[in-house]
Amino acid sequence: MKPRWAKVAGDLRSERGRLLLMLVAVAVSLAAIGTVLGSWAILTRDIASNYLGTAPAEATLEFEGGVSDEVLTRARADQAVSVADRREVIAGRVRVGDDFRPLLLFVPERFETMRLNTFRPLDGAWPPPAGTVLLERSGLEMANATMSSSLRVKLPNGRPSTVTVSGLVHDPGLAPAWQERTVYAYATPETVAMLGESPTLHELRVQFASHPRTVVEAENEASALAARLGGVHQLRVPPPRQHPHQRQMETILLLLLIFAGLSLVLSSVLVATTLAAILARQVREIGVMKSIGATRAQLAGMYAVMVGSICGVAVLLAAPLSMLGAFGLSRVVSTMLNFDLTSRALPWWVLLVLVVAGVLVPLLFAAIPIRRAVTIPVRAALDTWGVGERIIVRPWFPVAVRNLLRRPGRLALTVGLLATAGALFMTALAVSRAWERNLEKVKETRHYDLEVRFNTPAPDALATTLQQTVEGVRLIEPWGFEPAALARPGAIDVVRTYPDRGHGSFSVLAPPPSTTLISLPLLQGRWLASGERAVVLNHVAFLQARTLKVGDDVALSIDGVPSTWKLAGVVEEVGSAGVAYLPSDVFASSQSTQGRSRLWRVVTAGRDDLERATVIRRLEEALSREAVSVETVTPFAELKTAIGDHVAVLIRALLALAMVLALVGVLGLTSAVGTSVIERSREIAVMKTLGATSAVVRRLVVSEALVSSALSFVVALVLSLPLTLGIERLLGMLSFLAPLPFVVSWVSMGLWFALLVVATLGATLLPIRRAVQLTVREGLS
Amino acid sequence: MDNMSTNERQGQLIELRDVSRVFESPAGAVTAVDRVSLELPAGAFIGVVGRSGSGKSTLVNLIAGLDRCTRGSIRVGDVAVDQLDEDALARWRGRNVGVVFQFFQLLPTLTVAENVMLPMDLCGTARGAEARRRALELLDLVGIREQADKLPTALSGGQQQRAAIARALANDAPLLVADEPTGNLDQQTSTMVLDLLRSLAKQGRTVLMVTHEHDVERRVDQVIRLVDGRIGSPS
Repeated sequence: MKPRWAKVAGDLRSERGRLLLMLVAVAVSLAAIGTVLGSWAILTRDIASNYLGTAPAEATLEFEGGVSDEVLTRARADQAVSVADRREVIAGRVRVGDDFRPLLLFVPERFETMRLNTFRPLDGAWPPPAGTVLLERSGLEMANATMSSSLRVKLPNGRPSTVTVSGLVHDPGLAPAWQERTVYAYATPETVAMLGESPTLHELRVQFASHPRTVVEAENEASALAARLGGVHQLRVPPPRQHPHQRQMETILLLLLIFAGLSLVLSSVLVATTLAAILARQVREIGVMKSIGATRAQLAGMYAVMVGSICGVAVLLAAPLSMLGAFGLSRVVSTMLNFDLTSRALPWWVLLVLVVAGVLVPLLFAAIPIRRAVTIPVRAALDTWGVGERIIVRPWFPVAVRNLLRRPGRLALTVGLLATAGALFMTALAVSRAWERNLEKVKETRHYDLEVRFNTPAPDALATTLQQTVEGVRLIEPWGFEPAALARPGAIDVVRTYPDRGHGSFSVLAPPPSTTLISLPLLQGRWLASGERAVVLNHVAFLQARTLKVGDDVALSIDGVPSTWKLAGVVEEVGSAGVAYLPSDVFASSQSTQGRSRLWRVVTAGRDDLERATVIRRLEEALSREAVSVETVTPFAELKTAIGDHVAVLIRALLALAMVLALVGVLGLTSAVGTSVIERSREIAVMKTLGATSAVVRRLVVSEALVSSALSFVVALVLSLPLTLGIERLLGMLSFLAPLPFVVSWVSMGLWFALLVVATLGATLLPIRRAVQLTVREGLS
Repeated sequence: MDNMSTNERQGQLIELRDVSRVFESPAGAVTAVDRVSLELPAGAFIGVVGRSGSGKSTLVNLIAGLDRCTRGSIRVGDVAVDQLDEDALARWRGRNVGVVFQFFQLLPTLTVAENVMLPMDLCGTARGAEARRRALELLDLVGIREQADKLPTALSGGQQQRAAIARALANDAPLLVADEPTGNLDQQTSTMVLDLLRSLAKQGRTVLMVTHEHDVERRVDQVIRLVDGRIGSPS
């Protein structure tokens, strides 16, 4: 080995403690980057083979009287259409134990020949024999069913009937059943008829020859087709080629990637500070090497190889960790998207990015101290004996501050490193808390235990009767309800609803204006008053309407009939689809449903979920006795679970990344304290000569570390506030179309402070030991 | 950059014209070398003496290209040292100047042989087995061949200084600069080192030595005496 490389090898051995810190920091950061980037790559790849593999319809045209053979033939012959299928989706209910759960029954015309929104048989029959259904696998647990189980099913117009589960399917086009709290089933039109429902197929699903890339393009194609076909009641155009949860997942993965990238930047700063410390000790060696002929390029090459080799080892460590992490995170996310992962393999470019980022980024940062070290004049290098004095040091500064200011650059880097780590740590915790707080808002703004939707309006008098007769029911408040759309003059209604009927849906709710069952915060204008032809939009609906302002006319299409309402106000409604609130009295008269309502909101006397469930069962039985056709019964607890489950796991991933950042920050502090002690060995030896005890040395080291930490804490606090605000806004807009509440999390601040104090004391342990054990002779040599 | 020719060694090797070196510090400017002009012959053993702070180390550093003058010009052989950029200076130094420090300055993580081989590696004058062979020859010359594969910390002060001299000879540099090479050694070892330097001068090298030794005149060919940065009374 050439002597210069022998020196590099020797330096690696002699500095192994600090180089190990460097290695751990870079490896952990790279593993985080590799995990997130790998997940991104795997999920993006598998979206193609899962969601897009189902050939999702680009538009669904709903015909009130059903899609006739003639319409289907014309649609298939239309030049703009590449594929067209008929289908029906029926919202029903399925009995699970003593309760009913929502059921979505998908009815393709023929299982064997369907070409759009396809699903894959996993087990059992295909197609399902008459009188049986197939279940989507993610709903098995929800339905408490297995193969060959009998399910008690109730469709809107039928009587409760029993069907057998004859098979399982995987439908990657739908969000998981457990997340949406809905059981998905698949049946033939014959089975639907046996269940007492009309087997008419109302939906014409199409893909266009142009394969539109944007929702506007798809909407234009769909509107034009609807005009050509005629008789279309409503258009459903979800965002094309996009899974209902895809945008949320991608954005949160991007957020995780930014955090992971920042951790690599912090690790690179740590590399630079550690290397600067090593170089500070080697200034005289550099001077000697220069004096015997070393050029700047040769010296820079030696230290670049030193850093590069550490980073190379970090890449080798991080690569398998990234593969494991990426597969683990992808599996969790894929479960949330109802995907199957096709392969564990990471694409080659992820590993390439890991190598390039893992070696180049730290080298870029390391270039700063390397350049400074190799350009020092020989004489200056040979004359260096320790830490110099800086002009900014003043005698009236406390001793710890004076010592820290002797290396202002290093102090700035250490404080910056710790402050950034702390800010990101506190931000992640605050965002997590804001997420929980937002879910609490769901509860705080809704003061009912149960929502019952009927297939046809139920008499309000029945509500009064059941409120008095069903034990445990405290209040039943009838509300108007209809699916709706923002009407476009002269055009067919378009909604963004996905085939699951939940994502992107829009409806009208008509509560009594004096209702106390909701208290949604007003964002603009005012709440409704009785007797006025006014509307209050929730923020989701308001964003869909885009250009409206309070006082404008809002054109609503309620069950296909256009009507105009004055916009009275806008409310924030976390965790809801688009809703237009109308006064119940005016709504009832406009719909000619006076004294009848399609929706009840119920308050029970139950003190916990168990008691409430008992009351709900009693109410269900009473409704069954009255032969009222119930569409859905949604306990409030289910709603909160459905909202909370959507990205909860990714919030936890953000917290895990925050821990990585905290670790990098603490490693940085450890390195800085260690360096400071080593550089001042001579001073410490001199102090000992003058009588300094171990306690004095310990105090000196600890006080300096604590001052650095305290400074970083203040900077971290200041940094974390705008960062928290920005991320909460981003996450909130993506998940709820409204910013998460700005939460100043005292817990996160306290936790970081406590962690910082403990870490600071921990970081000083080894350097103190070294300083205490240092003999005067060693220190002065 | 090739080593200086034999002819150059036999003529004037070093020429300083009106050389000054001023250090700036918070306390004000300090003139370490003040308008020094001198010529030194090739193949001589020259002592630079003076009180502490008189500028002798600075003068030697300027000649060896370890420091840059604030004004004036320095020629060593055919080379205007003050005109070279940092890397050209490093390459020139590696091939033409051997430096011996008071505190030896061997690299602690390299063996003694590797320390000697390092200048050959940096200047590309010898590689692999050839470099090792030459390093052992030089260690043999200074009498510590058996210490070749030890780390510097395992050697006595005298042995380390001899290793440092071997390193200074690695690229067969015509000019050897030694800054108080005996300042950290006992009397007996000092004598041994001075004898070694003297023998190297006899072999044709120019040896420039900063020293505090009282009887330096007895040992060297020429003495430069510095007083407050200026040439005092040369002997």
